[in-house]
Amino acid sequence: MIDSALVLAQQSFPAPLGDSMLAHYLFVSAAMFVIGLVGFVTRKNMIIMFLCTELMFQGAGLALIAFGRHHLGADGQTFVIFVLCVAAAEAAMALALVVLLFRHRETLSAEAWKELNG
Amino acid sequence: MIQLTPQLTTLLSTLTNPMVALSDPAAADPHAAATTAHAVGEVGHGPAWVLLIPFLPLLGFVLNAIYAAIGNKSKLPAWTTVGLLAVAFATTLSMFLSYDGSPYTVHAFDWIQVHFGDKSMIADFSFYVDKLTILWMLFVTGLATLIALYASEYMSNDIGTGYCRFFSAFGLFVFSMSCLVMGDNLLMLYLGWEGVGLCSYLLIGYFYKKPSAVAAAKKAFIVNRIGDLGLALGIYLTFVHFGTLEFAELFSNEKLMGYVADASVGNFSAIPGQAQWIALLLMIGAFGKSAQFPLYVWLPDAMEGPTPVSALIHAATMVTAGVYLIARMYPVFLVSEFALPTVAWIGTITAVLAATIGMAQFDIKRIMAYSTVSQLGYMFAGLGLLTTTGAAFHVLTHAFFKALLFLACGAVMHGFAGQLDLRKLSGVAWMKGWGIVGVTMLIGCMNLAGLPYITSGFYSKDMIIAEAFVTPGYSIIGWLLIVTAILTAYYTFRVYFRVFVGPQHAEPGNEHHDHDDHAHGEEHNHDAGQHGDHHSSGFHPHAPGWAVNVVLAVLAFASIAAISLAYIDKAEHHGWVGSMVHDSTAYFHSPYVEQAHHAAEGTAHAVDGPVGFKAPKAVFGMDAHTAMILITGIGGIFGVLVAAFFHGPKGWQGLFIGGRTEAAKCRMDAVARRFGPIPKMAENKWYVDEIYHAILVAPLRVFSHVLHWLDKLLVDGLVNLFGFLPRLFAWVIRPSQSGVLQGYAVNMAGGVVILLVVVIVVVLRAGGAA
Amino acid sequence: MEQIISPIALYVVCALGGLGVAMALPRRDTKLQITGGVVFAAAAGLAALALGLKASGSGGLPNYFFYPFAALGLGASVRMITHPRPVYSALYFILTIIASCGMYLLLSAEFMAFALVIIYAGAILITYLFVIMLATQAPSSTQEELIDETDAVSREPVLAAAIAFILLGILTTAMFRGVGEVHPAGNDRTALNGVLANLPKKVDLKLKRAGLLEADERVLRLDDGTAALDASAGTIVIENVDLGTTRMIDHEQWGDHLEATNLDRLGFNLMHDHPMTIEIAGIILLMAMLGATVLARKHTEFEEQLKASHARTLGLDNSTGDRS
Repeated sequence: MIDSALVLAQQSFPAPLGDSMLAHYLFVSAAMFVIGLVGFVTRKNMIIMFLCTELMFQGAGLALIAFGRHHLGADGQTFVIFVLCVAAAEAAMALALVVLLFRHRETLSAEAWKELNG
Repeated sequence: MIQLTPQLTTLLSTLTNPMVALSDPAAADPHAAATTAHAVGEVGHGPAWVLLIPFLPLLGFVLNAIYAAIGNKSKLPAWTTVGLLAVAFATTLSMFLSYDGSPYTVHAFDWIQVHFGDKSMIADFSFYVDKLTILWMLFVTGLATLIALYASEYMSNDIGTGYCRFFSAFGLFVFSMSCLVMGDNLLMLYLGWEGVGLCSYLLIGYFYKKPSAVAAAKKAFIVNRIGDLGLALGIYLTFVHFGTLEFAELFSNEKLMGYVADASVGNFSAIPGQAQWIALLLMIGAFGKSAQFPLYVWLPDAMEGPTPVSALIHAATMVTAGVYLIARMYPVFLVSEFALPTVAWIGTITAVLAATIGMAQFDIKRIMAYSTVSQLGYMFAGLGLLTTTGAAFHVLTHAFFKALLFLACGAVMHGFAGQLDLRKLSGVAWMKGWGIVGVTMLIGCMNLAGLPYITSGFYSKDMIIAEAFVTPGYSIIGWLLIVTAILTAYYTFRVYFRVFVGPQHAEPGNEHHDHDDHAHGEEHNHDAGQHGDHHSSGFHPHAPGWAVNVVLAVLAFASIAAISLAYIDKAEHHGWVGSMVHDSTAYFHSPYVEQAHHAAEGTAHAVDGPVGFKAPKAVFGMDAHTAMILITGIGGIFGVLVAAFFHGPKGWQGLFIGGRTEAAKCRMDAVARRFGPIPKMAENKWYVDEIYHAILVAPLRVFSHVLHWLDKLLVDGLVNLFGFLPRLFAWVIRPSQSGVLQGYAVNMAGGVVILLVVVIVVVLRAGGAA
Repeated sequence: MEQIISPIALYVVCALGGLGVAMALPRRDTKLQITGGVVFAAAAGLAALALGLKASGSGGLPNYFFYPFAALGLGASVRMITHPRPVYSALYFILTIIASCGMYLLLSAEFMAFALVIIYAGAILITYLFVIMLATQAPSSTQEELIDETDAVSREPVLAAAIAFILLGILTTAMFRGVGEVHPAGNDRTALNGVLANLPKKVDLKLKRAGLLEADERVLRLDDGTAALDASAGTIVIENVDLGTTRMIDHEQWGDHLEATNLDRLGFNLMHDHPMTIEIAGIILLMAMLGATVLARKHTEFEEQLKASHARTLGLDNSTGDRS
């Protein structure tokens, strides 16, 4: 399966991604992004909120790769590497924060920190 | 704009390159333009050593400030000041002796030189010397030297910073007074004017920890400010109208000479109103500085200062600045139809009013203050009656005897621990060591009372009163002034009889000599019901030292010796002062005096007097001067007798049957009761201060309260409204700041969406249009 | 835009999708969840249909593997944000990542696909799972199935979904409108050869493996160290190291053996075009590591003090014991 996918991919390799094909990928990436957004906004669990940001990163990464393919350049993939970097860094920081916050309130709810509104 | 550009160019070139201005011959030597002088004539350049007169006191000021900074605790400041002032006096004397009859200027440095268009305002730091200047500077520096010597002992309780401060301000005062008197332009005069005002403020408020002294200093400063406004406006108007501020140019100004010619024939309608206003404005300044009604109220309060200050500033020198201003600017006053009559009437009113108040006071220093106001009133009356000679003579004699009186009072106050209440002192002259004070005080009182022939005050006063009678239409002023002279004699000797003669008795004041900031004359008890006669046992008045005695003796001698001045040059100029004034711009040849003399000699002939003036007349069928000598002489003696009757000690020397049995009680008490509330009203200064408070201060206070509330409600309200609007806005949107992360995320996403919708719509529209 | 999807279909899809997500989000009554899922699936199907119809008309349908991957990815995403249990959310996210990896493969970004699986699914998500387990109270035996209130109820689902799917509409409108005017780059062999010219050793190795080079031969290096590879003519100059002679081979001979792979291009692009960005990324990661360490550190001063006091007490006991 994977092999045939590879083959298929390499078959189409030199030819640039057409407009309508690109549109499919972009649609999926945008949908992933907004689903991540919905999740971030609606879910109260901080871990899930951060997962949702990762989902938004995924949407952005997919769009980057699709555009890179469309332009036959490597920049799109390069920037996915950086997106991965940022995602990893964010995950490290965010999870450390979540652990810290959880220790204080014994809950993962973002609403437990309401009084930070000043 | 077209006119402004060259003006600006000139101004800028002056500012950026002073050499340009200097290279301009007219600018470099403004006096070169004064070649067509009428009254003044050629004004030459004087010797540079004249500059020592103002700058030595300034050096004293600087040195004393340095002494204060290095914490000097000796009498060095006093000796420095006395020495420098003595040199300044010697310089003034040599200036007098070397004066050859023509005025000159001495240039110190360029001060203000502004050129615009075809005009230029030049006010250099220069000094103008003529006989009027010399006359004034002689008694200013002379008295300042003597009073500084007196103060070296008087202020010795304050040795240290206060001592330095006192002499520092003293030096600055003499410098300012020199600038005022010697300045060669009106701006220099104004500089000195403000300078003496400042020094007066500093010295009245010398005991700055005492609230009454601070209040008095503020009062003096603020009241003077009203006058200074008039002066400033007058100077401004002078420049606007005559285009110059320099005396030399002003008095040779053809415009002014033309006005004087018009005025001398009574043709005032030919003189523009602007020129007439100058004198009225300057007059307000003179009224403020010389304590004339209604601006006299600061002077009695100014007695809060140390006595030497009262003597120097508030009796002898500074208060005569107003007289000097009018004398100096006499041509300008002559061209104003109403200025001099106003001056005469205001002077008379002041003289009478102050004399009546002085009669009812119990604080001897305050009595002297009111007598000063009263005598200043004489001087102004003299100026207004066109006898600058009489006014200047009275200034001179008054300077001597009033300084003497003040210093004698100061000696008493100093010796009796601040006691100034004449009900609590008696027989001071008989006490050990007080003989010189007693004798000199007597001489001073005689001068003030104007006892005939033996006092100089008599001659100067007589000259003014006589002028009132020979000037048509002013005989009411003459009679008022005679009444005032009688009152003056009465209240002067009231003080003398009560304090200096009679049974020896003294209650010390509440002043402690070992205290640094001791308050002179604190808590004067004016309530007649509370006088006690208990001695505080163990109190020993300390008699004045040599410095005080020497100064008093010198002043007493000068007061007597000044009589001779009336006889020098009598035939030609009515005395030495007349000869001094005659050569200056202050001189105005009064036709009426001549005519009065002629009338007395029976050689009167019809003279076409100026319009509005009646023909002069003889008084009581004789020469006005002779008549006045009789009347005022008799009046003065009568006043002294009345004082002796009411206040003299009982059985005193078998000469009079005095009415005073002890220090506090006298026949006057019974008489005063018959007058009902009038003595009380006089004692309370006719409630002038209260009236001022009611008609000026209180409405101002109400007005300021109104403004305060206006500010608070309207202005603050507006500001608060602008502050409230964001708060209201914040109150509306505050709930959106829930503190929940998702709330912020929703807001952010919503904001992004709205923004993007706008962008997309705009892009689609643009795309559709394309 | 009309050449990609009809706007009406797009907005209907967005509306439906929003409705579906809003319904599927967890609330107190969970009955709507399945309906929501169905609505969202319908929206996705409608989108696929609308896109496909247009694409087939213009002859540009994507590879058919795209559809399962897209469906898997979107479905897992929705389930991830709607599942009340964080652990399941994380697992669904792994599914999403795997689906994205499939799409990466379809886009011939095989390196990124595997890197994604390794880094995201292997490292980051495992960290998430650890934290979820750390930060969740262990369920007691009696209440095993209790779902935390925090997770059971979502916050303002309708508003969030509305905003998000309006955003989707805007994004797709903008993207599709832009795509129609952006022309893809051509088959840029020149660019590929440019990459190869910068990799002379790789050219040596490949040509040797293909038997095009003798043992003492190598590609001629130019002065700047690049291979003497003429991109436009397709010729490569070979030099004999020992003899110093050169010869030339043309594209017909090396064409099948020598090409710049995706990884070459990616690595070259990364190192050649974005070195500064790598540095920045490195610093970000370092700082994140440092920050995470600092933040998650437990404050143990009190315990240390306690231990120290214990030690003192013990020492005191010992010394007294010795004395006695």
